[in-house]
Amino acid sequence: MTATLTGPQTAAGMGEFERTTSRWGRLTMIAGLVFSLAGPLYLVFFADLGVTATQLFTAFAAVAGTFFVIWLVEPLTYFPILGSASMYQAFMIGNISNKLLPAALIAQSSIGAKPGTPRGSLAAVMAICGAATVHLVSLFVFVGLLGTWLISVIPPDVTEVVRIYVLPSVMGAVIIQAIVSLKQVRATIVAFVVAVLVLFVLVPLVPSLAMVATAIVVLTTLVIGWFVRKREATPGQDATPEVP
Amino acid sequence: MIPTTALAAASTAAAAEPSPVLALANTPVLWICALGVFLVVAVQSVIYMKAARKAAPSVGMTPQDLRTSFRTGAIAAVGPSLAVVLVAIALLALFGTPATLVRIGLIGSVSFETAAASIAAGTTGAELGGPTYTPQVFAIVFFAMSMGGAMWMLATLILTPLLQRGGHKLEKVNPALMTVVPAAALLGAFISLGLAEIPKSPVHLITLLTSAIVMGLCLLLARVSGLRWLREWGLGIAILVGLTAAYLAHSAGLGPVG
Repeated sequence: MTATLTGPQTAAGMGEFERTTSRWGRLTMIAGLVFSLAGPLYLVFFADLGVTATQLFTAFAAVAGTFFVIWLVEPLTYFPILGSASMYQAFMIGNISNKLLPAALIAQSSIGAKPGTPRGSLAAVMAICGAATVHLVSLFVFVGLLGTWLISVIPPDVTEVVRIYVLPSVMGAVIIQAIVSLKQVRATIVAFVVAVLVLFVLVPLVPSLAMVATAIVVLTTLVIGWFVRKREATPGQDATPEVP
Repeated sequence: MIPTTALAAASTAAAAEPSPVLALANTPVLWICALGVFLVVAVQSVIYMKAARKAAPSVGMTPQDLRTSFRTGAIAAVGPSLAVVLVAIALLALFGTPATLVRIGLIGSVSFETAAASIAAGTTGAELGGPTYTPQVFAIVFFAMSMGGAMWMLATLILTPLLQRGGHKLEKVNPALMTVVPAAALLGAFISLGLAEIPKSPVHLITLLTSAIVMGLCLLLARVSGLRWLREWGLGIAILVGLTAAYLAHSAGLGPVG
């Protein structure tokens, strides 16, 4: 680390790095996209389940109505922190805020590199590669092999209970996590009020809205939340939504 | 229409060991697709590491720096990865192994994917994990979750080059818009989906509350005592305790009728 490097040298080296990672990052992400869609498409077309296009479209539309904002905002939020190369890694490996970002930051500080500098971004990429390796191995061994075996030996009445109640047990914790990490008191109150009104007043009155209840709550909370937001500027506030 | 026959198949097969949903969810083709995603991530990492090794000398990074970064990242990921493992195992009974590996373990996350699954199941009139959760519903749910994840990737694929090209105008968007809007969307989604569990049965309510309280305690304890690992493990612990409460309450006969 004694060599002093000239600007052009650094620019050329990083330029090539950016080109390689952009090209291959994009290609591998498209490959990941294809593999991730191949499974459900196989079920839809070849498993003879009688799934109709309308059912698929309705299901997707309901999910989209709820989450389209997050789809757009998340990449915008993480780009300044991750840089383009790591974007293609992070959105395929997942668990960005709770795993990849801490890994990258710790790696940068352990070699004394600042975020945003060329050294910092190379350190982040290497750290995310290290995190990905650990993640792939632990998922494969503990979930793929051990978990599948576990499910086969657990008494059926236990798996049945898990299947029926895993959703409320996830949602209870996730609600608290979202409230605590997002720190948006007003939006939280608005969301509770709107959800209660939609679920327990509107839907019983107009049962056909049950399908899109979540999307209605999201959009209403969004609009009301925007108008009642805290107005005074709070500089330095952490703008990274801790998205699950 | 299929639902009735599928329902009948589900109820008759319920006594036999693997539920029809799990039999379908663990078919070899889905395993191959899941392993494909694993392979893609591995290949991507190898390409990135090679590129980093090549660029390192030009920015004054030694091979030792690269190794240190890799190792630090790997060690930092152990805790969070095992926390994800715990959560993923809890969802195996619902989604089967391949879908859980890809959706919960990799591309998505437990909160988004279970939310999407619950919403998608709702559009078919079925209850995720309940008696109406048939193989057909699973296929629709898996499709909707995967398409949702695909939109995330698509947004990344489209926006990253735009942002890279110096489209930093996007970063100058009103910062309130970037914090309030996504926060409101997430809170609306999760609170709505959580509250929708309450009318299903007293056990659902007990499970929801137990899990919420345990999560709250974990986060509180993490803040007060500085035990950072509790922040990562809170979700897994809360789900496990919630399910234990569900098992006890269900055994006590408080479950849904029928």
